[in-house]
Amino acid sequence: MNFRKQIFGFMDMLRFKKLVPNRREALAGGSNAPLPQTYRTNELAKALHPGTMEVELTAVRPLTAGMRELTFRRLDADAFPFFRAGQYVSLQSKVGESLVSRPYSIASSPREALENKLILGVEEAGFFSGYLDKEAKPGDRFTMTEPSGEFHYETLRDKKHIVCIAGGAGITPFLSMAKSMAEGDEDYEMTLFYGARDEARIAFKPELDALAEKGLKVIYVLSDEERAGYEHGFVSAALLEKYIDIRNVTFFLCGPKAMYDFLLKELAPYNLPVKAVRKDATFCGDRAVSGPRTFQLTVRIRDQVYTVPAKENETLLTAMERAGINAPNKCRAGGCGYCHSKWLDGAYVIADGRDGRREADRKFGFIHPCVTYPAGDMEIDVPPAE
Amino acid sequence: MERQISYDVVVIGAGNGGLAAAIRVLQGGYSCLLLEKHNLPGGFATSFKRGRFEFEASLHELNDFGSPEEPGDIRVLFRELGVEDKIDWIRIPEAYHFITTDKQYDCVMPFGVKAFTDKMEQYVPGSRPSVTAFFELCEEVRDAQAYSTSVNGNTDPAYMKKHFPNFIKAGSYSVNEVLDALKMPKRAQDILGAYWCYLGVDLDRMSFLHYGSMVIRYITRDAWMPRLRSHEISLAMDQRIRELGGHIWYHSQAEKILTDENNAITGVRLTDGTVISTRHVIANCSPHLVFGKMLEEKSVTEQMVRATNARTFAGRGFSMFLGLNKSAEELGIKSHNYFIYDTADSVKQYDMMRKVATNHVQATVCLNNAYPECSPPGTCMMYFTTMFMSDDWGNVTETDYFKAKDRIADDMIRVFERETGCQIRDAIEEISVASPTTYARYCGHPQGVIYGYETADWDSLMPRMMMLAEDAKLFPGLRFAGGYAMRSSGYSSAYVSGDISGRQTVGDLKREVK
Repeated sequence: MNFRKQIFGFMDMLRFKKLVPNRREALAGGSNAPLPQTYRTNELAKALHPGTMEVELTAVRPLTAGMRELTFRRLDADAFPFFRAGQYVSLQSKVGESLVSRPYSIASSPREALENKLILGVEEAGFFSGYLDKEAKPGDRFTMTEPSGEFHYETLRDKKHIVCIAGGAGITPFLSMAKSMAEGDEDYEMTLFYGARDEARIAFKPELDALAEKGLKVIYVLSDEERAGYEHGFVSAALLEKYIDIRNVTFFLCGPKAMYDFLLKELAPYNLPVKAVRKDATFCGDRAVSGPRTFQLTVRIRDQVYTVPAKENETLLTAMERAGINAPNKCRAGGCGYCHSKWLDGAYVIADGRDGRREADRKFGFIHPCVTYPAGDMEIDVPPAE
Repeated sequence: MERQISYDVVVIGAGNGGLAAAIRVLQGGYSCLLLEKHNLPGGFATSFKRGRFEFEASLHELNDFGSPEEPGDIRVLFRELGVEDKIDWIRIPEAYHFITTDKQYDCVMPFGVKAFTDKMEQYVPGSRPSVTAFFELCEEVRDAQAYSTSVNGNTDPAYMKKHFPNFIKAGSYSVNEVLDALKMPKRAQDILGAYWCYLGVDLDRMSFLHYGSMVIRYITRDAWMPRLRSHEISLAMDQRIRELGGHIWYHSQAEKILTDENNAITGVRLTDGTVISTRHVIANCSPHLVFGKMLEEKSVTEQMVRATNARTFAGRGFSMFLGLNKSAEELGIKSHNYFIYDTADSVKQYDMMRKVATNHVQATVCLNNAYPECSPPGTCMMYFTTMFMSDDWGNVTETDYFKAKDRIADDMIRVFERETGCQIRDAIEEISVASPTTYARYCGHPQGVIYGYETADWDSLMPRMMMLAEDAKLFPGLRFAGGYAMRSSGYSSAYVSGDISGRQTVGDLKREVK
């Protein structure tokens, strides 16, 4: 082989010799204007994904006997991020010596977020929710994670007609989704089945009825009460058939586990594809263990080492929070991966059906502390919270 | 009491370059702290789950890997780093499937010089002599680069002239100039040029040396990838760093590189105020960030500003990930790796890629065609990637963001269906879209750039490598790794840059002792 581009090979060689001087000259000839401090795309990323936010509770309103509406404004910026209706935030605070946090679906719309308003509907259940329900008052400050989660409409995946089924406090993401549709940010048609024990437990009824004027189709279903204008019983396949074409919609379910179990059984005979039914993740609570033992959990965060008690029936995340360790967490359902931590030693159990780890995480010993229970003394390496 | 945290070397960013660099520093016997702002290692080299799918975030295949018996440079590097055996590897079946919308091309190209040349002769009769000459020239390029690497860029001109004359003579020309000189038929040039989008520069401005060295590596040494997605590589390196006694801090973003009155590095400060003492930093991020924001202002020189401003950002990334509820076979998807262009004219195509609205290029992978078990039986997984060759995406507003992503994703599906005849839309069970905003969010790259600086014209690979030592003098104590470093972007290049900067930092430390 004898490569030649110009008439004489030495001319090609000369050109090669100039590569370095040319580059040297170009580098020296760059502009002396100050380098940019930021870029538009990076600014948008920051607006959409601020990580954690400092927020203040501005209003508290009772919704039902067991549920309150909490309204927040952001203190570290003048707007919340625009988000996808159906997403959640995690609210975090210190109660006594413990750090606590819980994920809650957002009830307000993405447009309201831009007006620095974010609404959660909180059911009185459990330690933190009970605190929020009884003690939290306007002016209180919290840390809140950015809106997250995949429980939202996907234009290219879902059917044009979506059927949302809510049980109890599970109504919150659907209120946001209905508002977002009415505000023109989503282009689905939405039918909502809202199940509750009785009329007194229906939250956001005036808001939902107002949205019904703007295109939302809403069916209230009471299991323990017969009342005009309401369906009676459970949201069964027979009831669904009355209003919708089951095979030609995408279902979004949000409610207690018992509701999911019942509905999936009702829908089973239709052999719907997996993609037709989407369920919101539920918070991972304690594990049923009779006479739970207490183990020793060694937590490494950067160059610090903490040793804390960890109860057999509580997650590693809960053990850290009880000890006041600020460990990263968001979904508390095993799926988001935000608490991704290195396992170093000791036996553990992962909550049934909640192992959301990547395959390589399992191979190399990484865990999600939000769904992992100790089965002996343990040692883990955890990143600091933001 | 104030804690004193001190390391010989601090590596900023646990991307591919940072991970390799940290291992090299530790192997050299020095203490090393690797800082990462995200809670995972790997940067782009990661995976994520949606429903019953675990998606590969970015890797199409690892170039220059080769088989265990005939290892390529990257397998050898992984061996030396001590991570080759920690990873299960899969061989990639075919090189690429090249389609252009103007209906001129629909070609499937194999690995192996002979198989490739034979196939080309089938598609373009009469192409054999020039394609053979091309590969001969590429072999010389590879040998010359191996020599250059072995002497750390300090090449002896006389030796070069004697052993690699064709390398030198072709070395200053673009791909198109060299292929013309080889008198390669136009159609063969087009098919051979299909890989250009992997380097992100049109073939009029891309150095032949750069392209030739990549193509020869692809074609002669099979490409492989890890079974458990690129996350497996990243975690294997995480484990290796721990084994060697190194430390990795996740969720720990470096904010400032601190200097003393002589402008020598004294440490790194994190966003939470923690200060780590060190005199050596390897930055797995862009010089734009380092000299624009991180380095203390008093230490930023006019030369740094000019040298950084002189450079051009390469493509901003956009990817769509689909989990489909039918198998690749049922959907008729036969290839592993598709390149779909509007036109085979890379100059024209590059120009169309400047605007979001006129960009229809896609490099698309159906992972099941390399690794059938990567998703549950009866399903398959695909990922589609394109780039924007200007900051046009920066015009997207917050309230239009989700719709803007949907529009491009919709176009990607439309183009793929039209060009391959495979109907995939109704089978979408999971979808996820990453835009330049996503890349900016996770990796902090300016404008969501995924390819570092363009290796075009004066800033091509060869002069970068020849100026390795000179560039490092810009700020002693600081070296770069990853897509913005001397070897430019891509997995293999990023690992190599980490290898180089890690070893050279070890050399810096050794010289200090003397």
